[in-house]
Amino acid sequence: MTMTQPTIEDANAAALGARDVVKARRKASRTRFTASFRQNRSGMLGLTILLIFIAVAIAAFFIPASSLDVTQVTADPFLPPSLQWPLGTDDSGRSVLLLVAKGAQISLLVGFAATMLSMFIGTSVGIVSGHYRGMTGGVLDRFTDWFLVIPYLPLAIVLATVLGRSLLNIIIVIGVTSWPGTARLIRAQTLSVTARPYLERSKALGAGNLHQMWKHVLPNVMPLVLANTTLAVSISILSETTLSFLGLGDPTAISWGSILEQGFAAGAISQGAWWYLAAPGICVVLTVLAFNLIGRAIEDILDPRQETA
Amino acid sequence: MRRLSQRARIVSMAGAVSVLAAVLVPGMAQADSASPSSSTPRSVFTIGVLQDMDSANPFTGITSAAYEVFQMEYPTLVEYGAKDFAAVPGIADSWTEAPDHSSWTFKIHPGLKWSDGQPMTAKDVAYTYNRILNGKYEQTNFGSYVSAITKAEAPDDTTVILHTNSASPIVPHPGVYIIPEHIWKSIDEKAVVSFKNEGTPDAPSVAGGPYYMIERKVGQFIRMQANPYFWRGKPAVDEIDFKLFKNGDAMAQALKKGEIDFAEGLETNVYNSLKNQPNITTVAAAPASFNELSFNTGAALDDGTPIGDGNPLLKDKKLRAALAHAIDKQAMVDKILGGDGVPGDTLMPPRYSQWHVAPTNPMSYDPAKAKELLDAAGYKVGSDGIRADAQGNRLSFRLLGRTDSSTSQKAVQFIKGYLAAVGVETTVKFVSEDNLTEIIGQGKFDMFEWGWGVEPDPNYMLNVFTCANRSYKQDGAILANLSDSFYCNPAYDALNAKQQVETDLAKRQAITGQMQQMLYDDAPYIITYFYDGHEAYRSDRFTGLVHQPEPDGPLTFQWGTWTYEQMKPVTATDAGGTTNNSSGGSSVPWLPIIGGLIVAGGAGFLLARRRPANAASDDRE
Amino acid sequence: MALLTETPARTPSAAAGGWANPSVRYAVKRTGAAISTFIFVLIFNFFLFRILPGDPVALYTRGRNVDPESIRALEAKLHRPIGQQFLEYARNPFTGNGPSVKYNQSVWEVIAPALWPTLLLVGTATLIATIIGVWLGIRSGWNRGERFDVISSNTTLVLYSMPEFWFGMIMLIVFAVGIGPIPGMFPTGGLSDPGVDTSTPAGWLNVAWHLFLPVTTLAVIYLAEYSLIMRASIIEERGQDYVQTARAKGLMDKMVRRQHAVPNALLPTMTLVFLNLGFVVGGAITIEYVFSIHGLGSLTVDALQGPDVPLLQALFLLFSGAVIFANLVADLLYGYFDPRVRT
Repeated sequence: MTMTQPTIEDANAAALGARDVVKARRKASRTRFTASFRQNRSGMLGLTILLIFIAVAIAAFFIPASSLDVTQVTADPFLPPSLQWPLGTDDSGRSVLLLVAKGAQISLLVGFAATMLSMFIGTSVGIVSGHYRGMTGGVLDRFTDWFLVIPYLPLAIVLATVLGRSLLNIIIVIGVTSWPGTARLIRAQTLSVTARPYLERSKALGAGNLHQMWKHVLPNVMPLVLANTTLAVSISILSETTLSFLGLGDPTAISWGSILEQGFAAGAISQGAWWYLAAPGICVVLTVLAFNLIGRAIEDILDPRQETA
Repeated sequence: MRRLSQRARIVSMAGAVSVLAAVLVPGMAQADSASPSSSTPRSVFTIGVLQDMDSANPFTGITSAAYEVFQMEYPTLVEYGAKDFAAVPGIADSWTEAPDHSSWTFKIHPGLKWSDGQPMTAKDVAYTYNRILNGKYEQTNFGSYVSAITKAEAPDDTTVILHTNSASPIVPHPGVYIIPEHIWKSIDEKAVVSFKNEGTPDAPSVAGGPYYMIERKVGQFIRMQANPYFWRGKPAVDEIDFKLFKNGDAMAQALKKGEIDFAEGLETNVYNSLKNQPNITTVAAAPASFNELSFNTGAALDDGTPIGDGNPLLKDKKLRAALAHAIDKQAMVDKILGGDGVPGDTLMPPRYSQWHVAPTNPMSYDPAKAKELLDAAGYKVGSDGIRADAQGNRLSFRLLGRTDSSTSQKAVQFIKGYLAAVGVETTVKFVSEDNLTEIIGQGKFDMFEWGWGVEPDPNYMLNVFTCANRSYKQDGAILANLSDSFYCNPAYDALNAKQQVETDLAKRQAITGQMQQMLYDDAPYIITYFYDGHEAYRSDRFTGLVHQPEPDGPLTFQWGTWTYEQMKPVTATDAGGTTNNSSGGSSVPWLPIIGGLIVAGGAGFLLARRRPANAASDDRE
Repeated sequence: MALLTETPARTPSAAAGGWANPSVRYAVKRTGAAISTFIFVLIFNFFLFRILPGDPVALYTRGRNVDPESIRALEAKLHRPIGQQFLEYARNPFTGNGPSVKYNQSVWEVIAPALWPTLLLVGTATLIATIIGVWLGIRSGWNRGERFDVISSNTTLVLYSMPEFWFGMIMLIVFAVGIGPIPGMFPTGGLSDPGVDTSTPAGWLNVAWHLFLPVTTLAVIYLAEYSLIMRASIIEERGQDYVQTARAKGLMDKMVRRQHAVPNALLPTMTLVFLNLGFVVGGAITIEYVFSIHGLGSLTVDALQGPDVPLLQALFLLFSGAVIFANLVADLLYGYFDPRVRT
């Protein structure tokens, strides 16, 4: 790769002194960011909610398997909330509280994993298509345009049908259907970064394309990626819920979406078992809301022009 | 899917709606029992269903809704009686088999008419049978009922002779729907493939049964009108509508509110919520269907060539029988069916009391015994808690469930749990039923969970387990047949050949009983439960609905049209103004009108409000 | 659902020259892009289903009694070279894959009656969501930080975080079933009662009565998004020099808002409305399912069972085509109203 080009070594050596400066500057900006975020009330609210759910998801590892095994639970089905069953029981007599806690694991896992995938594809495509102006850029740009326009849920449904129902597949489906928005955004940002003088300089010094993208473009688009990520997680979680509700999720995994599907299918509403549907639904709303609040807060801080109240 | 002993489809439900508060809303009942329109009151019986008919053409349709409509439209020679499934006259008054078993002769009731007033005679019957016998496409739905028949002829208007090539107790069977020759003769073998046969208000279908079709909107509703020429007399209810729901909860609510009069195929919990509601009568119909855990007992083609990749350990019937002791069928009935069913044992469901047999050696739930039997059969518990045979082959199997069914998804969880408790590991995967059919046909499975809807005669169900009905090869491709466990036992096949030609009921019962016991012992299936059919209807509006069989069979989706022929609207004198409202827009009540206006005018309303609201805020600035 | 991140970022590439009129050139370019997208969808749709596991013949005949002759015909058709198959498909992409497995009718015959319920649902909901969303956005954006804004922003953010179908279920419980003192005012599902002639005014009312809850559900979820966008653009416009100047000159606040800020801020929102159509269509899938409406959405859910591949393919193509078209309209409108993008 770049190692074969001696000029790069030179450029790196020249930049060595500057590296510490850059590091310091980035650290300062991180501190500034943290401080502003702390002052953002709704951002902090979102973060608090999120941390609570993450704690719940971790705590859920300590739920004994027997209490979620339909052949081993002994409670009656559809018990309303009580001291013993804080969120009532489901149609098999399992505690809805435990189900929802267990569901937090899969929902958050799918949310994060799918977003990572989507961010990875979106950022790579965005940077590359912004950096290379010729054929490569054009083709990738076209490709992004195509995917941007294809309606999201029908595409996800079709993909999920073709791939089959499993946890990994649902992550892939959400990941590969939700990247084009990010790619668009990153591409625009890349274009503006590439136009900056220091990149011209680095290019003149003979830096390779990979080096330019990795060392200069990526750090500059990272804050945007971050803001976009939090918003994307919220969309991933909503997507997982919807796909699971339509029966396209992994039927053996407990997620908020699959609890909703099961409750729905088991006639929870006719039974008046509102807790069975309300609990996972509220969890989804709260988590998605948390990510939205955080994402907006980050956006506000990065782009003060749009600052909300 | 198909009622005639095909795979029973437990309609997968997904619903919305209901009593959050247990309080029923009394206000809404008037909505639909609103005053009848200006014309004479017309009684309409609306049935909520969850599955649409796939085609109104009897040579094409296979869903149970399609068969229900076919029964209403097309007569049969013989019918299953309402009381106990005994054969009773259809349009044939009598039938006799020739002493040499070479033919059956049916005497057709004289003076019958189709719904368009044309005469219905023995010629129509002969036409129908010959069309099936000589057809290709026509064979697909009805071929199995005419397999022993070679030719049909109608020497006069009231006599039909069906020539047969062997003795067969199955010939006088209500399987073949008689179609009107004067309509169908213009639809040739090519046209029949795409012929829709849907009635419209202007051109209703021509039928000979109690009702004919006047309208169908795919995915929405089917409307059937009473046939004035029906030979047992015009039914009392003028119109029967099938209204489609995408989920059971919505259907239950519609019943409570009076949008529909009958709800069919209710999921257990939805059904339970309808119990003890005012004006609603619920029926848990005696089971005619079972679900099973099926094993791959050694997949092979009909010629014995092994196929697929089933785990060979499951060829051991001792292993399969031991697992039968591991499964708590009663708990599954209680927790999956909410108690509306009975633990499974042998093949023919209890509703068919003349065929059902109790096993001589019931394998009841006893995990300790299951472990004992497994130990004895040489499957010892390994260090990982999973059993293995002497060669170290672990008892680890693939278990397939159906995405289409919520009960299947639950049942599989139970089976997995019970098997794990005796040291048997399962890897669960869910696929669609259609997909599963294919996987089974190729023998690429270890176990799966599914079920059958069983027809009153045991022949079809027993045939599922014959060697000849295993998968077969055609043009290099392996195609699925009836058998889904690949059970093959020459002794069983010999008994089956005997029951097929035995016309003495008692002797046939003895043979079929022996066959069922054989299947129970060899356990290609572990029948988990027989499940009740759930129905509910507005007893404040309709009366005289008929159970088949008495006293606890289902009221609709029967083997026949007994309820539709015999029920009556509750008259105004019985209870205040409960005649169902007529069709037409007159039923739109006030609240909905307001609702509609809000939708239409909501935007305008908000726009109109904008000025003052904004003015107020402007003042503040 | 590209909340706040996606104001259309058109990046004009170097002008090709030759076209005298930039608007024509712009229109041709956008139309060309739309066509290329559709061709991509066509190809994608064809090959995606070719990689489904299992015997393709079984795939197209699932669960159905098919006479041997038809199977052979189908086999012959499916075993031809892929290029030939594609050509045939391209000639008639909707019906080229054979009849619907589930309904046993040509795909078009199945889809046609389901078209207008979805159009009605999505159209009405979008209209209402746009009008109310824009109004809310203007009001809270202009009066940023006031009580109205705080309440409206927070409510819309919560609504935006809800899965449509879950909100629909709640609407159904409260307004169709009735809870506590609230009577069940609306039907639990369907589009009209059987036997109601939907070509009469009384029939329209019946339909409107049935559509009230599903339309409201969709509209409420999407108005949240539109109002958030509108609010953001109003805030931006408000900060612009010309607005500040106009206000400084003593122009009435209302005038400034109505004559300058709103028209400018409206543009991105309206574009988003069109760009968003794909998501609204997606929302319609679950909403139709929950409310038992026989439209394209519940057909999609039906087609999932099995799956009914020919139907699913046609639906995917239809959804994509409609959204591509809506996007093209948005692009053209955008170019018309904002000449800057045409360069």
